[in-house]
Amino acid sequence: MNRLLLRSALRHMQRHPWQTWLSVLGIALGVAVIVAVDLANQSARQAFLLSAESLTGKATHQITGGPTGIPEELYRELRVEKRLRQTAPIVEGLVRLDGETLQLIGIDPLAEADFRNHNEGLNDQAARQFLLKPASVLLSSITARRLGLEPGQDLGVTIAGRQVDLHVIALLEGDNPAVLEGLLLADISTAQELLDSPGRLDRIDLILRPDQVHDLTAALPAGLNLEIPESRSRVMLEMIDAFQINLAAMSLLAMLVGAFLIYNTMTFSVLRRRRLLATLRVLGVTRGELFRVLLLEAILMGLFGTALGLLLGLLIAEYLVQLVTRTINDLYFVLTVTQLIVQPLTLLKGCLVGLGVTLLAALAPAIEAAGTLPISALRRSRLEQRVRRGLPWVGLLGLAALIGGGLWLSTSGNSLLGGFSGLFLIIAGYSLLVPLGVALLSRLSERSGKRGSLLLRFALRGIGANLSRTGLSVASLSVAVAATLGVSIMIVSFRSTVADWLAYTLTSDIYVSAISSRASSSDTTLLPETRGLIQSLPEVAETSTGRRVTIRGPQGPVDLLVLDFASNTQQGFRFLEPPLPELWTGYQRGDQVLISEPYAYRYGLGTGDRLTLDTLQGSLNLTIGGVFYDYGSDRGLISLSASAYARYWGDTGYASVGVILQPGIEPSAAMAAIRKALTASDQQLHFRSNRELRDYSMAIFDRTFAITQVLRLLAIGVAFIGVLSALMALQLERSREQALLRATGVTPGQLIRLTLLQTGLVGCYAGLFALPLGWLMSEVLIEVINRRAFGWSITSQLPLDAVFEALLLAVFAALLAGLYPAWRMGRVSPALALREE
Amino acid sequence: MYRLAWLLLLLLSACDTSDTEPESWQVAEALGGVDDAGFARATAPRVFHFPRDHGPHPAFRNEWWYLTGHLQTPDGRAYGYQVTLFRIAMQADPIISPSAWRSNQIWMGHAALSDLQAERHVAFERFARQGAGLAGGQSAPLRIWLEDWQLQLDAEARWQLRIATEAFNLDLELIAESPIILQGDQGLSQKSDAAGNASYYYSIPRLASQGTLRQAGEAMQVAGLSWLDREWSTSALGPEQAGWDWFSLHLQDGRNLMYYQLRQKDGSIDPLSAGSVSNRAGMQQILNAERIQLTPLAYWESDGKHYPVEWRMKLRDEPQPWRIKALFTDQEMRLSVRYWEGAIEVREESSKRLLGKGYLEMTGYE
Amino acid sequence: MPQPAVTLTNLSRSYREGYRDHRVLDHAELRIERGESVALLGRSGSGKSTLLNLIAGIDRPDKGEIRIDGESITRLEEPALTLLRRRRIGFVYQFFNLIPTLTTRENIALPLELNHCAKAMMTDKVQQMLEAVDLSRRGDAYPEQLSGGEQQRVAIARALVHRPALLLADEPTGNLDQAAGKNVLGLMTTLAREEQSSLLLVTHSLAVARYADRILTLEEGRLSESGMEAAW
Repeated sequence: MNRLLLRSALRHMQRHPWQTWLSVLGIALGVAVIVAVDLANQSARQAFLLSAESLTGKATHQITGGPTGIPEELYRELRVEKRLRQTAPIVEGLVRLDGETLQLIGIDPLAEADFRNHNEGLNDQAARQFLLKPASVLLSSITARRLGLEPGQDLGVTIAGRQVDLHVIALLEGDNPAVLEGLLLADISTAQELLDSPGRLDRIDLILRPDQVHDLTAALPAGLNLEIPESRSRVMLEMIDAFQINLAAMSLLAMLVGAFLIYNTMTFSVLRRRRLLATLRVLGVTRGELFRVLLLEAILMGLFGTALGLLLGLLIAEYLVQLVTRTINDLYFVLTVTQLIVQPLTLLKGCLVGLGVTLLAALAPAIEAAGTLPISALRRSRLEQRVRRGLPWVGLLGLAALIGGGLWLSTSGNSLLGGFSGLFLIIAGYSLLVPLGVALLSRLSERSGKRGSLLLRFALRGIGANLSRTGLSVASLSVAVAATLGVSIMIVSFRSTVADWLAYTLTSDIYVSAISSRASSSDTTLLPETRGLIQSLPEVAETSTGRRVTIRGPQGPVDLLVLDFASNTQQGFRFLEPPLPELWTGYQRGDQVLISEPYAYRYGLGTGDRLTLDTLQGSLNLTIGGVFYDYGSDRGLISLSASAYARYWGDTGYASVGVILQPGIEPSAAMAAIRKALTASDQQLHFRSNRELRDYSMAIFDRTFAITQVLRLLAIGVAFIGVLSALMALQLERSREQALLRATGVTPGQLIRLTLLQTGLVGCYAGLFALPLGWLMSEVLIEVINRRAFGWSITSQLPLDAVFEALLLAVFAALLAGLYPAWRMGRVSPALALREE
Repeated sequence: MYRLAWLLLLLLSACDTSDTEPESWQVAEALGGVDDAGFARATAPRVFHFPRDHGPHPAFRNEWWYLTGHLQTPDGRAYGYQVTLFRIAMQADPIISPSAWRSNQIWMGHAALSDLQAERHVAFERFARQGAGLAGGQSAPLRIWLEDWQLQLDAEARWQLRIATEAFNLDLELIAESPIILQGDQGLSQKSDAAGNASYYYSIPRLASQGTLRQAGEAMQVAGLSWLDREWSTSALGPEQAGWDWFSLHLQDGRNLMYYQLRQKDGSIDPLSAGSVSNRAGMQQILNAERIQLTPLAYWESDGKHYPVEWRMKLRDEPQPWRIKALFTDQEMRLSVRYWEGAIEVREESSKRLLGKGYLEMTGYE
Repeated sequence: MPQPAVTLTNLSRSYREGYRDHRVLDHAELRIERGESVALLGRSGSGKSTLLNLIAGIDRPDKGEIRIDGESITRLEEPALTLLRRRRIGFVYQFFNLIPTLTTRENIALPLELNHCAKAMMTDKVQQMLEAVDLSRRGDAYPEQLSGGEQQRVAIARALVHRPALLLADEPTGNLDQAAGKNVLGLMTTLAREEQSSLLLVTHSLAVARYADRILTLEEGRLSESGMEAAW
């Protein structure tokens, strides 16, 4: 590489620090978002895997049970009768502590030796206490530090609604204290007492020789499974796949906007140097040399930006990881992640994306520059002519990409990746059409602005006349605004769909439920007499019961919704297609089930198909009586009548009671009566009115989308920088023109107004172009991405306030971006600008 | 390591010597100690009721069922074995809990086999808490079990021992050939000066044993002679005591000798060292330090511990001194508690004539 | 017998202007000997710059042949033309066209570096040229810090530093005052002679043209030699 050329390029960057740094910042933000999301995702996964691994220890296999767990007698049988020496019983549960959820694991230390190594530093007192004294626990040292707890102190927690003071006798260190974060370790007897589950184990860990596996599988009672720990972890991780892919795609969106920014900057930097480049060509610099120098320039910015982006990404990730963890906790499983796990691969990914996108974005301008003819006579007006002539072709290309994206969407089956690539094609195609649109729009506005003041006309014409710049600026701002609009339409639509669904599904006036402490399923049942007690109240018209348990379905674990309806509340289901005519009798009889829409979508099932479930009585083949809308679980649900569940699983428990009141009864009054009727039982209960339950559900919904909002803001940030840099370049480049205006008597104030008018118009155009794209994106998000990721159908809405917001955002961003150039323009000296060229 | 830590802690906590380093912990210390609050103590002779007293006495802190013996196969292969089931209470009061796992009792089992021809010794250890069906004891009918190890006594007075380890399985039927011998003062065996530092101790010295030994997929018929020791206490050794050497001998003339020598930390022999010689009819003569003289002759070293594996034993009433010798040296129990327990033979020192066989246990060696 | 520096044979070039063709060069013929300086005189728009661009390989003729140092460039591809410019041609413009981000010294060194000149030699040569154009004290200044005349002197140094066969100058004094213009012209012709470069000087001013050995005029697309000289 030519040394002087390189030096010249570097000095060029130095002389335009604003441009350079804005580009670097744009790249940095794009990379940061990608890295942060990836870090948050990976940290959550790694934390899960590590803690799963540390909790699984050296176990080669695990026995897991259904909703009722594993009878502890089985453990004795395995150890004593079957002489399986390497076995360890595990009891698991959840403990709540001021909005935080800790995991309680009960072990038998005497059986643990072969499996895990939690703590070697327990002194004699503590060891004896651990085994003998109720409510004694060991707490993760990291968690303890976070909570400011010392060994010997009490920890007030809620377990299944009961207030319990746990006594922390020592802290858990282990080889890697971080993986034990959020963990409470107790003796198995303590855990059974705390979780109120005597006789029950949740898991048995085993170390088996290959020849023992088959015999054991054959000998296991129905309803229990012998699994490989990794497969269990995998199933759990699969649950969060769709969620994480969505986040990753959102982060790519930010990078896409970042790419526009880089393209923008490089194009400007080439355009403004066209005379210089021509000189170099005359001096005998070859195209290749020129191309390489420009690419190197891009690489340098890419490197800076990427490095900065990695740092920034680490910072943002600290915050994102909390949001990701919270969503996983709300929707999937309990996980505590407080430590970022930085994997080299994530950083590498960030580097590759940062540099790759930079290079790609710089490629076109660099090629363009290399093609610079040595004739310096290629004037600006000619360039604009050329751009104008190229517009239809660019537009055509855009149209092709749009159509291609659409086709790709419709032919990529259920692939989420296909969905996203189609979406990106559509965005790219649309953005190529934008300059054409700007040309048309500016012609239109020029015509209509004919009678306006000279300045107005000047401003209007400026946009059309500088299409090579304005087209780009409008396109990148449009994409950014459209992205935020699309996501916002999607969220609003989703939210209102869920609210509708809740209103339809929650048919009872009051819900009574037991507070859950189970890790595996929300499975704490009410006392058997609860329903009867409620039903006997004069205020109560009817009651229904419900329960959700995890069972083994044909494709792995699935949630089973066990319902016993009140006589007339079956309408709590809304069906995708007409259910089988004899559905409700079949359902009550137990030979028909209902499946939720995501389940149907995921496994390609429909009304009238058959489904096989593993029950304690062996496998059971059932007809699908109907497919119902459900937004509670993206894994899908199967619903079975309570009587059938009792028959096949020997379990008549229920976790909640829905209460329908007599006409005219106030829910609050009835709630008090129910509370009173149930005071005799010492069980801790939730009483929620229909309204409260709805609000609660919506609160979870909103929390889930908090991270989406953050990503949206970041994308806007990148877009804003892009617009700032584009408009600044645009205005700075025209300083000579502006100086001329000043020289002819235009006041600084007028010049500032002119500049702001122009940037405001650019924003306005961008806002207008963003509307159709935003709507298109929301449609793709709703109809394609959401369906493929979660299997939900969402009714689209077009919220006017979101549209208005998008317009406002575009104009505001553009105006803000115009401020500095306007300020500079106002100070431009007429003489200075006239001297050059 | 992990299990070791747990065990030591449990046992340590039972004797409440919290500042003791786990590595230096010895059997002697587990059985001695201070804080015995709430436990019953062996302060006076008691009346034994059999078979009820074969069963556990949970009011006392420690208790064991101790079987040692020599076995032969029809083709002349000779083995020694040792099986011990220990019951250890971590606190005096039982705990009421809905959970079957909550228990104040821990069980520990040791099983060892000495292949006398190959001079190979293997030892295994088990732990389980009492409860959840994993370990425990009952007296009528007698059944002591620790997972799949168990000792039973049926209505026909046949003892059944079933042991399965990673290296061998041993199923034995044992029938007493001698009456029960109450050791010490009618079964009260004083171990150190303080009142209550004593155990209840009885033996069935001679049990005709036969059954099956499975090793490496091969099942062998075995027959021989075993010794059962039963002992329960809350505290035994005093702080000045270092350990003991315990001998059990089946002499060919039909006599059985048991003697434990308590060593003090200063190297002297505690005057409370005691034992007995009994004949087939159950006639019993008390041994004490004045009636017997023990001299170590040869040592075997393991990790700095010097175990005397050859002894001279001179009984006051015997004309000739005896020579007692380990049948091979490495019969150390390298378990969470480290001690030496192995098969021995006894010969007349002058003529080298074989007088009998037995077992030797040595603890507290540094 | 050395080859002439430039030979134009039967050269034609026309541009489309609106709806009709404008013939800028019409079967033009020209021969410039080695070391010879030739001035090309003509009115604005007479096609002087087009001729310059054609000789530099920046533009292509419709017909005819151009030979530089005896080598025909008419059929050369773009990369070869670029290399030709790099090695054999120096350029001086009306608007100097220095690289604003390079210092005086670096601007002069650029052609040498493009020709992969050894570093030590380069330093010497650049210093030599700086002294020749009397700018040895402004070596580290950037173009914007120089006056117009100084800038043009830098441009001359840059154009001649690699001893090109041909120096093309397009109105080199057009942006300078009279004194500076004289200085520049003197320097240019002297240096071109010293470096044995041929000089083609395009101008509309006869006073400028007088610095050349020979004056040609471009009229109606044809080059003629005699008339003008006689006229003055």
